Amino acid sequence: MKTKYIPYLLLLPAIAYLLFFIGYPLVQALYLAFTKNGAFSLDTVRRATSDPTFWQALKYTILLAIAIVPVQLILALILALAVNRAFKGKDLTIYALIIPLTISDVAAGLIWYTMLSDYGFMNKLLLNLGLISQPIHFFGYEYRMMEFLAIVIAEVWRATAIVFVIILAGLQMISKEYLEAAEVFGAGYWTRLRKIVIPMLKPSIQSALIIRTLFAMQVFGVVWILAGRDIPVLAGEGFYQLTEIKDYGVASIYALTIALLSIILGALYVKFLKAEYLEVRT
Amino acid sequence: MKKAVGILGALLLVAAVFASGCISGGGPTKIVWASTQLNPPEERAFVLNELIPPFKDKTGIDVEFVPISYSDLATRLEGEEQSGKVTIDVVADLHGGLDYFNAKGWLTDLSSKIKTLQGRTFIESYMKYATDKNGKVFYVPWMSATYVMVVNKEAFKYLPSGLTEQDVIQGTDKWTYDALLAWLKNIYEKTGKKAFGLPAGPKGLLHRFIHGYLYPSFTGYEAKKFDSPEAIEMWNYFKELWKYTNPASTTWDAMSDPLLQGEVWIAWDHTARIKNAIVTKPDKFVVVPVPRGPKGRGFIVVLAGLAIPKNAPHPDEAWKLIDYLTQPETQVKVLEKVGFFPTVKEAADAVPEGPLKILVKGVTAQSSTKDALVVMIPNLGEKGGEFSGIYREAFKRIVLQGEDPQKVLSELGPKLHSLFKEKGIPEP
Repeated sequence: MKTKYIPYLLLLPAIAYLLFFIGYPLVQALYLAFTKNGAFSLDTVRRATSDPTFWQALKYTILLAIAIVPVQLILALILALAVNRAFKGKDLTIYALIIPLTISDVAAGLIWYTMLSDYGFMNKLLLNLGLISQPIHFFGYEYRMMEFLAIVIAEVWRATAIVFVIILAGLQMISKEYLEAAEVFGAGYWTRLRKIVIPMLKPSIQSALIIRTLFAMQVFGVVWILAGRDIPVLAGEGFYQLTEIKDYGVASIYALTIALLSIILGALYVKFLKAEYLEVRT
Repeated sequence: MKKAVGILGALLLVAAVFASGCISGGGPTKIVWASTQLNPPEERAFVLNELIPPFKDKTGIDVEFVPISYSDLATRLEGEEQSGKVTIDVVADLHGGLDYFNAKGWLTDLSSKIKTLQGRTFIESYMKYATDKNGKVFYVPWMSATYVMVVNKEAFKYLPSGLTEQDVIQGTDKWTYDALLAWLKNIYEKTGKKAFGLPAGPKGLLHRFIHGYLYPSFTGYEAKKFDSPEAIEMWNYFKELWKYTNPASTTWDAMSDPLLQGEVWIAWDHTARIKNAIVTKPDKFVVVPVPRGPKGRGFIVVLAGLAIPKNAPHPDEAWKLIDYLTQPETQVKVLEKVGFFPTVKEAADAVPEGPLKILVKGVTAQSSTKDALVVMIPNLGEKGGEFSGIYREAFKRIVLQGEDPQKVLSELGPKLHSLFKEKGIPEP
């Protein structure tokens, strides 16, 4: 056999896997979304987009991403910088920070629901401390702002760990020599952070951002538990259409919207956050 | 040498065929039980681990339980009946579905067989549903369920004047939706608590409360008078009721936890979804009939039955399973484990004192109120989701977003009516 075919042959299982598990469902979704009685039709698209819930879901999904992702990035960066030096109990701290990563989003939602409900831990604590006289209401259609806040808190708590891990790994890859050299030339902490650490962290930040933003487009479990459909999001509405209304076409539109958003955002990140490798540039 | 290998291979093949049971080796008969009921994981585990094994031990008949959705069941049954290759022995589904299958001529006549069942009396109204206009019994009533109100005894301290505890527990004429509102208002004024709870979360059954309780009680119909003046009155009442309803209701799928947490004192939900509260704290709660409206006391009865498809491969074994599932002891077990109510009178008597008795008492009180207006969930097949969706949308727009009921109902009404027209079903 000619050696030039070997790479293709090795790729074959992966391609077969992608075709079967990604390609086929994608074609199926496109078929459900854009056909009616076997012919091309925009009827389903019209049905989905004429429902105001669709636009609300799109709006809230993006708003949630805008509220959650930057907070997670900054928080993770601070935590990673704090942990990235030698101190007693360092390993334990890292383990503790990563614990939320092991909890599923539905479980995280339930934990925060019980914490924040009228008779939950938070309200009881505040009531007992005499800081409030009536419980703070977090849940219900009338309190959508508070529900939004609860979702942000729960998501930040749950998913900052993944950003933290990626950034910590990135930090540990930065050679001490650069930092020591900078110190010799009199660069203070902030200068070192700005001129060396952050630029060298860019590849890590980029991967963390891509992962988190794409996951944010699929946000579901936490929202579903904490706010139900008071705050509609794309994945939740897709699920609702599929399981409750049984409108498979509209459900596919939601799924395809998530896919489209993810592709666009991924492309934007790759284009505008081009990672610079200092070693290569010299 | 080659020949020996060939013979050995052939022998192995024969042995494998027998071992795999492809050729009936005299093992137990296996029947297929396709069911749209008891499908959630917990309930399925109960069927597989507790319901079927004793039957298998007693009769030697093995049962393959196939949880299936209504639309899949309808498609499969249609395919099998048309091709003549039936594989399903027993069908378990709700009344509406079985009624449709019978109209299509897919079900066996059980009239003579049902008389042979010993030691059980089926509740008359259920038998009426199970018999078609030609006198053919097309299913055996198996389980029933309904939606009731649960009251935390604490709430009785705040009864409004003119309403007594007995009125509520027995469901007298005084136990009306207006009385409920006065009661909730009283609680709110005295304690600051929005004490009423509804399962209005995305997986909650709020739409059943609207089309099966409020609508019939106020308009006399589930869908027929969806956009009538009586309906507008009903929605205005609901808006008023919502003022005293815990706002977190829009995040609740089942009322058991909010009742146990004390977040609400009076709640409406499916019996299966409040059962946990009653079982956990039986001294704290009473199950009571729902209030009545101007047109009567509307409530839903969900009835599930067991049927045998025409040309089922093992009709005799299938009948033995039906016999087993409708025995009073089996029915009490189903009630204890999954909260569906018996369809034979003997079983209701056999329920031991305790939490379940509280549930049974409430359900019985509700079904025996004299102004009872029993409704069934209309069988719209795959359109059922859309049907529920319309009531939920009306709720969202009128009650939550404060839109004009007249405007919303005149927009949604035609959509609802066309669902029934499309399916060719008279509007209930």
